[in-house]
Amino acid sequence: MKEKEGFVDCPEQQMILYVEKEDGQFGPMQTGSFITKNYIDDYFDKRNNLVTSLRDQINRDEISPVKFFMILEDLTLKELSARTRIPMRNIKKHLLPPHFVKLSEELLQRYATVFNITAEQLKKAIPTTELLNDEPAKL
Amino acid sequence: MTPIHYNHKMGAHCESGTVTSLLNHAGLTISEPMVFGIASGIFFGYFHKHKSFTFPTFIVRSRPGDIRKNIQKRLGVKFQTFSFKKEQDGIEKLNELLSQGIPVASQVDFYYMDYVPSWERAHINVHFMVVIGKEGSAYIVSDSYFPKPERVNEESLRRGRFAGGNMSPKGFLFYPKYVPSEVDLRKPILKGIDKACFNMLKLPVPFIGIKGIRLFAKRVVDWPKFARDSEHLSHEVMKINILLEDQGTGGAGFRFMYATFLQQASEIVNNPELKELSTELMTIGDGWREISLFAARIGKNRDLGAGKMKELSDLIMDRAEVEEKFFKKLKKSIK
Repeated sequence: MKEKEGFVDCPEQQMILYVEKEDGQFGPMQTGSFITKNYIDDYFDKRNNLVTSLRDQINRDEISPVKFFMILEDLTLKELSARTRIPMRNIKKHLLPPHFVKLSEELLQRYATVFNITAEQLKKAIPTTELLNDEPAKL
Repeated sequence: MTPIHYNHKMGAHCESGTVTSLLNHAGLTISEPMVFGIASGIFFGYFHKHKSFTFPTFIVRSRPGDIRKNIQKRLGVKFQTFSFKKEQDGIEKLNELLSQGIPVASQVDFYYMDYVPSWERAHINVHFMVVIGKEGSAYIVSDSYFPKPERVNEESLRRGRFAGGNMSPKGFLFYPKYVPSEVDLRKPILKGIDKACFNMLKLPVPFIGIKGIRLFAKRVVDWPKFARDSEHLSHEVMKINILLEDQGTGGAGFRFMYATFLQQASEIVNNPELKELSTELMTIGDGWREISLFAARIGKNRDLGAGKMKELSDLIMDRAEVEEKFFKKLKKSIK
């Protein structure tokens, strides 16, 4: 990869790319992320569609907010269990609304900590991204 | 607490960048590609099903922690390491080291780092950065993915350091305790290349090395079966671009950085063949870059029918063929 071919103007996400310089030497160049520069809108569109679809499922009582965040944060049952220290068989129940509403504050907090949100955000299924408001278009 | 005077520098990859900057801080002049190459960082592994991943995925670098371990073994550096059963012990040790003016590398789950924009966040328990100070309730960190030192809230750092799950950090910290003032790089370079060739060509595991690239090529056509819907499939296919380019690889799944290592190595060991091979690997990397761009394009256009997935598979299979030839030549070149 030649130096001039590798440069991407994307101040929102900088990175190091190794390139061939003009003198034939290979070395590092600070540049921007190609995918963030060109396709970040697509990422947010898909993310927003996923949030809407999962919220619809919550409203239809098909899934609980635990499942909502588990999917959004790309965690498997095994990972969520290891991170919350809640047995997998219990988590399977907490993915369903009737069991979720009976969760103690202590268990809600354990999930919230792993999802990096507050217990209130968990109950209302509000991802932190909605509070951060940091889409590049809004920066 | 006064921040430690630390020369922050961006790096291509978090572990090799962290190890390099700590060695530089301790007085050893060495480049990131040299650290990566000596530590046999180049790799490939494909995971079609794994209990910790929600979707098939691949890795392009050696096991996290191996860069530090191999550098210790091959350069004679001694790293002091700590991991903790109790969180409080881990917090106190970090504060104690900082108060002694020691910059210390920390392993964290990337997801909890406040300074990372939302779209870059992912639960990855094997992110490394250097903690260089504390001001009030925030730690100052030198993270090689970012252009300047960043601040992370102490609660966020605690969550990141003590996240559970696959490859849980357990508060892991390290810093170089002994760094030789001069190192003869010739033997470590040859050892690093030899081990990298073994990993890519001979490791008897069906999903690792060249066999892993072939498996990836064969199985990627099955990815639609794992997806919830077309947008999910698009997201996962576009992640090929992120894994090869954006997740700290220096471009083309570390191939560009390894080519740089080979070019630097050719002069040190006085082997012109390595220089020719470095140019060849740069070209091979361009092929991986083509895969990245192709994956991003078909993902964006939702053009993910059987024909396009087969095209993607063919591009990946082609990389397996050229890399097999390349690593055989590389192995021969150091004999």
